[in-house]
Amino acid sequence: MKVLVFHIGRDRYGLPLAAIVRVLPLLELKQLPLTPDYVAGLMDLHGAPVPVIDLSRLAGLAPAAAQFDTRIVIVDYRAPDGSKHALGLMASRVRGIADIEEQQWEDSGVETAPFLGQVASDADGIVQLVELEQLLPADVRALLFQPRSAP
Amino acid sequence: MFKDLSIKNKLYMGFGSIVAIILILLGVAYNSFTRLSEANSWDRHTMEVLIEIDKIHNSILQIQVETRGYLLSGNEISLNPETDEMAVLTQHTQKAILMTSDNKPQSERFRKIDQLARTWVKDWIDPLIDKRRALGNTPGAADTVARMIPPGGSPGILQANKMLDDATAEENRLLAERSARSASLQETMLLTLSLGGVLCIVLALGISYILAKAILGPLNNLTDAVGRIAGGEQGARAAIVSGDELGKVTNEFNRMAQTIQDNQANELAATNTLRAKVDSLLEVVSKAASGDLTGKVSITGSDAIGQLGNGLAKMFENLRSLLNNVQKAGIQVTTSATEIAASARQQEATGIEQAQTSVEILSTTKEISANTSQLLKTMEDATAVADYTTNATAEAQNNLKRMDSTMQHMVSATDSINAKLAALSEKASNINSVLITITKVADQTNILSLNAAIEAEKAGEAGRGFSVVATEIRRLADQTSVSTWDIEQMLKEMQSAVSASVMGMDKFSEEIRRSVGEVRQVAEQLSSVMDQVQKLTPQFDAVLQGMQSQAVGASQISDTMMQLNDATQQTVESLKATSEAVHQLQYAAGDLQSSVSNFAVTI
Repeated sequence: MKVLVFHIGRDRYGLPLAAIVRVLPLLELKQLPLTPDYVAGLMDLHGAPVPVIDLSRLAGLAPAAAQFDTRIVIVDYRAPDGSKHALGLMASRVRGIADIEEQQWEDSGVETAPFLGQVASDADGIVQLVELEQLLPADVRALLFQPRSAP
Repeated sequence: MFKDLSIKNKLYMGFGSIVAIILILLGVAYNSFTRLSEANSWDRHTMEVLIEIDKIHNSILQIQVETRGYLLSGNEISLNPETDEMAVLTQHTQKAILMTSDNKPQSERFRKIDQLARTWVKDWIDPLIDKRRALGNTPGAADTVARMIPPGGSPGILQANKMLDDATAEENRLLAERSARSASLQETMLLTLSLGGVLCIVLALGISYILAKAILGPLNNLTDAVGRIAGGEQGARAAIVSGDELGKVTNEFNRMAQTIQDNQANELAATNTLRAKVDSLLEVVSKAASGDLTGKVSITGSDAIGQLGNGLAKMFENLRSLLNNVQKAGIQVTTSATEIAASARQQEATGIEQAQTSVEILSTTKEISANTSQLLKTMEDATAVADYTTNATAEAQNNLKRMDSTMQHMVSATDSINAKLAALSEKASNINSVLITITKVADQTNILSLNAAIEAEKAGEAGRGFSVVATEIRRLADQTSVSTWDIEQMLKEMQSAVSASVMGMDKFSEEIRRSVGEVRQVAEQLSSVMDQVQKLTPQFDAVLQGMQSQAVGASQISDTMMQLNDATQQTVESLKATSEAVHQLQYAAGDLQSSVSNFAVTI
């Protein structure tokens, strides 16, 4: 399975390529007041507004630094009710693509943040998968993806 | 009510009541007199009626006498023709009737008598007289006629006489009755007068007593109070017993007595306060008289004694401080005297030392004279050295000028190096901007390769080859990034080296500039040194002359020192005398201290 490898703090995490729409450089974001602090803001993707989540803050660390290898990864977010939304994830130190065999993934066996999944080891250390479905709590999801009012 | 009347009204009332009683008494007396005089007049009236009755009786008797005379004698003269006895009788009878008109039975009685008398004269007397006359001088005539007269008289006249007696008895009874009434009236009047007089006197006395009591009571009260106050009883007051002028006087007197008492009490209090103050002052003063000045005057205030107290306090304060000062001064004088004695001894020793020193000075002065001639020789050597110095300095000045021009050249060379370094810095900046562009392109390429890998993954098996290309591109991009980063680092090092060079050059040129300044300064100093050295020669001459005069001065000093020696001897003598005087002063100061210490001044 090919994953996009990035860092949260010192540790490496993986995002399955299948879920990724595009990788973008860091952009100017529109701030969203009265949202949780890990909601970094709102970006403009070819005219469509897309909310952006700061993964570092979501993991309870300091905000992602504005470095040259800090990227915004646009993913297809599937809500539990089946609707699909574009969601931006701010990830720091995006290293590249790693190809890790399916049998190498194992459960971590430790109860951590709900959005962290299986782990695998390679030459550089441990990579942990990020589960997109568990990324947002229900209230934040409701906040970010308001049902569109009928025109 | 009587108490509240004024004295004038009291007097009016008292005397008025006495006068009223006398008037009432006079009225009663007058009334009694009137009644008494009336009773008297009635008495007299009765007496007159009795007289009239007697006269009537007389007239009847007269008629009888005349008739008898004539009858016996027949002489007409006996009849007393000049008086008509009958008319007199009638006249009296009529008068009696008139007088007894208030008494009916009496007047009726008289009228009857009158009638009986008339009848008697007409029936008896006249016929007898006529018969006698008719008989004339015939003998027995008188006897004949006398036989005609009935024995015992005529019955008419008897009846008339009897009636006259009755009338007399009636009048006598009336007289007795009226006399008794008159006597009783007199008695009543006497009684009234005596009783009225007694009552009048008693009332007058009572009124006088009340009046006197009303006037004299408050007065006595007042007098008693005055007497008690005069006897020293301050609290004595007169009781106010009436509302008249005396009451007011008493009230005012009481007020006056109260005021006097208050004043005396105030005066007594003031006197006591004054005495206490004076006593306290006296205590302090007597303490002070025995030498203890620690007493504190506690009397203050703005009155005379307070001012006296203030003055005394101030005086004691001054005395204390004065004695304090004197004690201190005594101690100080003793100390000073001791010090003076010590210093006098020291001076004495110093004087002796001075004498020795002046001897030493004498020998030193001789040595100075010898040294001066040696110095003269040395000065000549110094003049020669100064000349040499002048020449050397001039040479140094020329060398310095050459150095100055060399340094000017170095300054201009440094400036041109600086300009070149600036150009180098600018070029490095340009390279830097190119590097930023390359970095951006590498970054974009990285993203592009990532997206390409994603797309290749999405394309599945078909994208497998593309995926390899994408990975290669990404590797290239990464290499570019790394190379760019290396170049950037080198450029940065170069730039810092250039700026260090610029700074070094700046510092160097600054140093050169400063050196040039210093060289110039040294040159100037050298020229001034030359000037100074050239000036030295005449000064050396002056020093030579000064040395010669010094030699002369040294011998003069020798002489003076001899004189000084003598003077020092004298000083030592006088210092001994001073020592003696100071010892005496020490004794005197001790005496002063012991006498002053008798006074206690510390509170």
